[in-house]
Amino acid sequence: MWPCQPDDGGVDEHFAVLGYNVKSSDMAGVAQKLEQLEEAMGSFHQEGLSQLADETVHYNPSDIASWLESMISGFNPIPEFDSSSDPFLESSASVNSQMPIDLDFGSDLIAIPGKAVYPRTQPPPPEQNQPQPKKLKTSIAAVAPPPPATPLLVDSQENGIRLVHTLMACAEAVQQENFKLAEALVKNIGFLAVSQAGAMRKVATYFAEALARRIYKLYPANQQDSAFNDMLQMHFYETCPYLKFAHFTANQAILEAFAGKSRVHVIDFSMKQGMQWPALLQALALRPGGPPSFRLTGIGPPSHDETDHLQEVGWRLAQLAESINVEFEYRGFVANSLADLDAAMFEIREGETVAVNSIFELHQLLARPGAIEKVLQVVSELKPEILTVVEQEANHNGSAFLDRFTESLHYYSTLFDSLESCGGGGEEAVSVQDKVMSEVYLGRQICNVVACEGVDRVERHETLEQWKSRFGSAGFEAVHLGSNAYKQASMLLALFAGGDGYRVDENNGCLMLGWHTRPLIATSAWKLR
Amino acid sequence: MDMDMDMDMDTKKKCTRFFINDNMDVLIEILKRLDEKSIGVAACVCRLWCALTRNDALWEHLCFRQLSPPREGVRTVVAALGGYRRLYTLCVKPVLTRLGKRKDMWTTHEVDLSLSLFCVDYYERLFLAGAATPPSSLIFLCKAG
Repeated sequence: MWPCQPDDGGVDEHFAVLGYNVKSSDMAGVAQKLEQLEEAMGSFHQEGLSQLADETVHYNPSDIASWLESMISGFNPIPEFDSSSDPFLESSASVNSQMPIDLDFGSDLIAIPGKAVYPRTQPPPPEQNQPQPKKLKTSIAAVAPPPPATPLLVDSQENGIRLVHTLMACAEAVQQENFKLAEALVKNIGFLAVSQAGAMRKVATYFAEALARRIYKLYPANQQDSAFNDMLQMHFYETCPYLKFAHFTANQAILEAFAGKSRVHVIDFSMKQGMQWPALLQALALRPGGPPSFRLTGIGPPSHDETDHLQEVGWRLAQLAESINVEFEYRGFVANSLADLDAAMFEIREGETVAVNSIFELHQLLARPGAIEKVLQVVSELKPEILTVVEQEANHNGSAFLDRFTESLHYYSTLFDSLESCGGGGEEAVSVQDKVMSEVYLGRQICNVVACEGVDRVERHETLEQWKSRFGSAGFEAVHLGSNAYKQASMLLALFAGGDGYRVDENNGCLMLGWHTRPLIATSAWKLR
Repeated sequence: MDMDMDMDMDTKKKCTRFFINDNMDVLIEILKRLDEKSIGVAACVCRLWCALTRNDALWEHLCFRQLSPPREGVRTVVAALGGYRRLYTLCVKPVLTRLGKRKDMWTTHEVDLSLSLFCVDYYERLFLAGAATPPSSLIFLCKAG
């Protein structure tokens, strides 16, 4: 993808930027010898390598050739054998389930072996006696050496660390506006990313693309294509639990706020396909005492084609409501930005209980100064019984580019990790296409966070703590989401494959959904003080 | 499976033959107590049994029999959204299996969740009416184990 072009005869520029002096003319020979060494090690029983069990770390990168010679001469000569086709893809497929991608960047960065450029020699595990699969199993990844014709450095773990290091170095170069260095690094990232497997490869590729766009000023076109975005979001909805979690927890809060009320009005800032509302309508239909009369106002962006998308969605919801005997009224508003709305437009009626709902919409307002304050002002004028908000739990809106980059790298790595567990290969029900679409959906967000600026940068995620202070200043106080919401959310997550990895946490009455130890989205509910 | 009592000539005058197919209320009562696999098997016996197993009341019983009497209006809503048989196959069974629960451990939370997912599926079908691709919001439930 990003071809590597070392200087002829001079010092290899990729290693040069990382601080090493290695002649590029030596590289091919060294790599070939490394390969031979790996093959030699792979064909030995564990006992035969006891002399290598001690650390043999090379300290002078430019003298690798002679060190390797001495290593190789310690082994008997090995017979040639065929390489399988495309070892990277095969090994990455088999590795998916085993590779716990360590994304704790703090410790990884400390652990970068500064002077030992080449992999530590480790005795392979005892099973390693077959001559056929020339995989040198480390504890983290299975890697197969490529065919002798194209020598490549293939230690996945080392490259993983180097990849993260390079990504960070590139981002730093961009922040310092040292674009020449950034350019060199971004090419290297692409090259390193290929040696990774699964989530790490995809994340690195998306971030590399976003960095490249920023460096070359090729900003992404069509970020605002709402129909395409909606389609991607549907796939994301189907593949993993984040949106379902958002809908179910927000609905539970709204349901509780509507208890005992006979005329209710929901204002949805994030209408899209209206997937949140069927479940609420059904819950209202079955509540003790019967359903209220239900009014829905949906806000959406202008559509690029002729269809009135908002009206279509409203019509389908009306059909559903009619089937389950819930009195239903719908209105759709097209708006470029939520800040264009004002309270009078909604025509709130006497005796009507209002709920305002926003799923992943509010952070976009932070791109324009004053917009979020205006919107919260309008919301408070509507005097809602409840305001339900779901947002990404991350700070991708820091003033320094490098901070945003680091945060989002960590965040999206975790998110992609969780996507891996949703399957998408073999006999999985979730198709590869769904998973890929979900990745594209997230990739667009990555691109926006990294490559865009100013009013174009709309993915300005902020943490729950930050939102708390904004809502506090606008006159709102938190409503605790009850245990019902928590139970439903936990149950929902248990239904998803990889359910063990997902965690629901309660945080001062707000619910957070995360992957292992990292919270990823937060649902909160608010009412006027 | 006629419960055709085999009798010898002496007692024949006193006993009457009993055909289960003539006593559908009894048959339905029996079928109501089966699990879904057995209902599936029963459906293969004859056309009458096949038709009876499609009776939604049977599946309603299967869905909620361990729970206290179902809430008001559940039946109308479920019927409108596609019926109990569909609810069971699409939502109840996968949810129970995935959560590793036995039917006597159902609570209202499982019921609520199943009904919500069922409703989302119905809504998706409204959108996709006539389209080639089936609705997939419940696809995460289909994955093995």
